[in-house]
Amino acid sequence: MTKQMFRIAPGFEEIMPQEYRDLVTHGPYDRNVGVADLGTFKELLEEHPLCAGCGLALSLRLFLASLPAPADTVVVGSTGCSAIAFPQVGLHNIHGLFGNQNAIASGLKRALKLRFPDQPKDVVVVAGDGATADIGLEMVMHSWFRGENIATVMLDNEAYANTGGQESGMSPRGTVLNMAPTGKKFEKVAMPEIAREAGCAYVATTSPLHARRFEKAIRRAILVARDVGSTYVQVFCPCPTNYKFRPDETLSVIRKREKEGVFQYREYITPQAQEYLAAVEGEKQ
Amino acid sequence: MYAAAKVELSRCTGCKLCILACPDPNVICFLADDKKVKVDVTRCKGCGLCVAVCPKAALALEALTESEPART
Ligand code: SF4
Ligand code: SF4
Repeated sequence: MTKQMFRIAPGFEEIMPQEYRDLVTHGPYDRNVGVADLGTFKELLEEHPLCAGCGLALSLRLFLASLPAPADTVVVGSTGCSAIAFPQVGLHNIHGLFGNQNAIASGLKRALKLRFPDQPKDVVVVAGDGATADIGLEMVMHSWFRGENIATVMLDNEAYANTGGQESGMSPRGTVLNMAPTGKKFEKVAMPEIAREAGCAYVATTSPLHARRFEKAIRRAILVARDVGSTYVQVFCPCPTNYKFRPDETLSVIRKREKEGVFQYREYITPQAQEYLAAVEGEKQ
Repeated sequence: MYAAAKVELSRCTGCKLCILACPDPNVICFLADDKKVKVDVTRCKGCGLCVAVCPKAALALEALTESEPART
């Protein structure tokens, strides 16, 4: 997609909604903006129906501002809270079935490579913990085994959040939710380790508490996926609605987990990806 | 939308931390000339995250009154 597609036919400017006009005149397409520029350009995400104080919504905002080439990016999503926001995103996006998002992204990426051999097109999967670690785990892992050139971003709110609060594989042991009254019986699925063993060239865990670090992980994952192989970023984004804390505590919940050492920022980069990143990141400076 | 964040301009130093904490897009804007932030109360959900991160206590949640701009 190019900015061209968003242009308004001459004479029709007046009748287009203000939000759309703003996107055309000062959206992020074809401009080199990042999270540090938030608040100064029209964001790709428009007003959304996610809950007040939602960590996932904040992560989505930061994610969209972190894209290295929004005009050449396609996001493949899946069922979950993030899916409710995607109709409001000014970016090509596809809603997969619950679990097949990485299969869709694999096919799409291969087709885009054939159709645009000279222009990198970034295909990024953005799905929740349920879609990634439970329902879609098989297709997620097989895309990694095959080394597909796609980035997978898990928005980990540690629950099936928009269906009333069921535990997911990513809920911590002992979690009690509205629809998981007896407490979860096993540990959080070790997705970063699985990703690494399954052959991902870049794996990171991050959170929206540190926006710059978040941006770096997303950019790296997308860049490495272009040329080296599959990548995975796990974003810890707590859910006030199901975990029953106040909406203004979302970031302090992350800080608390950080302090306890339960949540850690980690990054794994294969030597090949390291070499590639050194070259592209060096180029930028 | 019954409450929204309000900025006390004299306290705001324009550090932009609130912009990076708000889960809602296009709510807090940065005014480059003044080096301050502005909140669009019609988009704010009143979650209070910006208030929690502001190091200068320049933000507070306030109940919206009848005279606030109506949602268009
Ligand atoms: S249920 Fe939780 S994760 Fe879903 S939109 Fe609400 S706060 Fe966000
Ligand atoms: S109260 Fe919440 S929605 Fe409103 S400006 Fe602050 S962070 Fe954004």
